[in-house]
Amino acid sequence: MNLLWESLRLALRSVARSGLRSALTVLGVLIGVAAVVLVVALGQSAREQIGNQIESLGTNLVYVFNGEASAGSRRGDRRGYRLSLGDADALRRALPGLRALTVYSSRAAQVVSDVTSAKVDVVGADQDYLRVRGYDLVSGRDLTLLDVQTKAKLVILGSGASQKLFGDTDPVGRSLRVGQSRFEVVGRLAPKGQNPAGGDQDDRIVMPIGAWKARVFPGNDDRVDMIIASAPTAGAIGELRDGIERVLLETHRIPVDGKPDFRLITQDTFRQNQEEIFQILSLVLVSVAAISLFVGGVGVTNVMLVSVNERRREIGTRLAVGARPADIRWQFLIEAMTLTSSGGLGGLLLALTGIFALERQLGWTMNLDLTAFALALATSLAIGLVFGLLPAQRAARLDPIAALRHE
Amino acid sequence: MTPPHEPRSKPPLRLLAPGSRTSASARASEFSECDASAGELPLIELEGIGKDYVTGPEVVHALIDVHLGIPRGQFVAIVGASGSGKSTLMNILGCLDRPSYGAYRLGGVDVGARSIDERALVRNRLIGFIFQGFNLLPRTTALENVELPLVYRGLPRRQRRRMALEALEQVGLIGRVAHRPNELSGGQQQRVAIARALVTRPPVLLADEPTGNLDSKTTLEVMELLERLVETEKITLVLVTHEDEIAARAHRVITVRDGRIEADSLAPLPPPPRRTGPEPRTSRA
Repeated sequence: MNLLWESLRLALRSVARSGLRSALTVLGVLIGVAAVVLVVALGQSAREQIGNQIESLGTNLVYVFNGEASAGSRRGDRRGYRLSLGDADALRRALPGLRALTVYSSRAAQVVSDVTSAKVDVVGADQDYLRVRGYDLVSGRDLTLLDVQTKAKLVILGSGASQKLFGDTDPVGRSLRVGQSRFEVVGRLAPKGQNPAGGDQDDRIVMPIGAWKARVFPGNDDRVDMIIASAPTAGAIGELRDGIERVLLETHRIPVDGKPDFRLITQDTFRQNQEEIFQILSLVLVSVAAISLFVGGVGVTNVMLVSVNERRREIGTRLAVGARPADIRWQFLIEAMTLTSSGGLGGLLLALTGIFALERQLGWTMNLDLTAFALALATSLAIGLVFGLLPAQRAARLDPIAALRHE
Repeated sequence: MTPPHEPRSKPPLRLLAPGSRTSASARASEFSECDASAGELPLIELEGIGKDYVTGPEVVHALIDVHLGIPRGQFVAIVGASGSGKSTLMNILGCLDRPSYGAYRLGGVDVGARSIDERALVRNRLIGFIFQGFNLLPRTTALENVELPLVYRGLPRRQRRRMALEALEQVGLIGRVAHRPNELSGGQQQRVAIARALVTRPPVLLADEPTGNLDSKTTLEVMELLERLVETEKITLVLVTHEDEIAARAHRVITVRDGRIEADSLAPLPPPPRRTGPEPRTSRA
């Protein structure tokens, strides 16, 4: 134990003494460890984060978008619109198993309160919108079926929009103007954060779709941007998706071998897409980690071999005063491991910097815990052990007489 | 070859000891003055030692059937031309090399036959090495250099420090403990090395041309230090040299040639009185 401690002291001194050489040697280990820590941090917390963002869309959702005719664009052009209020009614009638369903149309528009004005997303939806998307009210009330049917001039404010238009005061009961029409604020939503695409889900105001069409974005049809349906359980999503497809194929009169003019995306699809992105990202990082750890390890072997050669006389002296070959082996192994774990520490710092940057960039919060630290340390120690073994073995096997004779 | 004096018999070349296995330190009291009278157990005992090196198709007989006994407290000089086998003899005495045949007993223990780790233990406990090139660890203080053997003994730091300081005091370098080798003169470096050899309190010091890199003044200082250790600590000093003046200071001079002991002569008075100048007192064949 004493001897190990002594070897560690010696190794620290020796690594510190050749600072630049040590730094260059462990660069590979540093990058490798950084990559490993990043992989784990991403895998652990970012995946969780994305999961939360997907959850934040609502529960067990099936999205119905306008299809090919809109040239793949989510908003599309108005001529390409096929989804309508009538589709929503047809789906509600035909699919008693669904939990909730809402239409959705949205445009950015300048909104004027009695205090100020701001550009926010103006959403036209029906009474189930909050339920489908999982928004919580912090004050006021939800839109009712009656509100929707009467195309009442009422709005619910997202937390961001509320902040922009009314500051920190409660907007319920106050009014705002969109275009030429004045709307009364009946509710305010809890903040939700970003959606998986990075969009702000709070910078919006929600009004009955009828009022939206009549007052805000007049058009003489009943087309909508999309329909969002919610299944009662996660297991029922597939069934709901198939049901919606069947009903819409029928109401849109799509021939059996024809191409549907709508697209269906389930919440799982989002998840799968994110999973794929993460898997690719992880694969890239793991490859980087493996390659740089290997290259770094070989560099450590090389430097340690040089060191053993340079210090033959020292090794001979140590053997002469009573070091056993095992003591010499440990000395050089510990030196290699000290070298690599200093690289591991550097890699950890690099990873933390990277994570910090990612957090800033993507707005994720990564809960980095001791695992990352332990992982960096374990990886670099293992690299030191594996790649330090050959030089250490060579040092331990030196013939003391030849080593002492070395000039 | 005959010793020039007759008060003592021939040195104990073939003194066979009863093979009791007590430790060297326990045995230490048994050794009195460097007296080679019969019945006395020599500290170092070589019995029919030989060493063969195989170099390609040839076998080199570096040592052939060497018998040698050295009692405790004796200062023995080993002389011989290069290639005579004296280095091989020293390496075997120092447990750095194993004899090809024969028995080497150190303090009654057959150390020649021991494993690598056990021989490391013997080097650590029973032998102190002094080299021509000092072999101090660079960039390491005198104190830490002296501590080194104790590190391999697994002693705690404070005890190491205390013992190392004592050893440095013994060699008169207590004021230089924090100096690194490159900040010390050659004589001081060799004294640090002697302190390192002494710090384990070994019964045997093996010195390989200890003054080979020193000028005549420091040579004298180092030799006087070594002789004082032999006198006061009853240390057995085996010293390889090719300088006659150095060899002349020894109690006993062993001449090696072609792998055999060619001559073995005692100085007139063991232990010798302080001599002022080098003055050969042994005759060699």
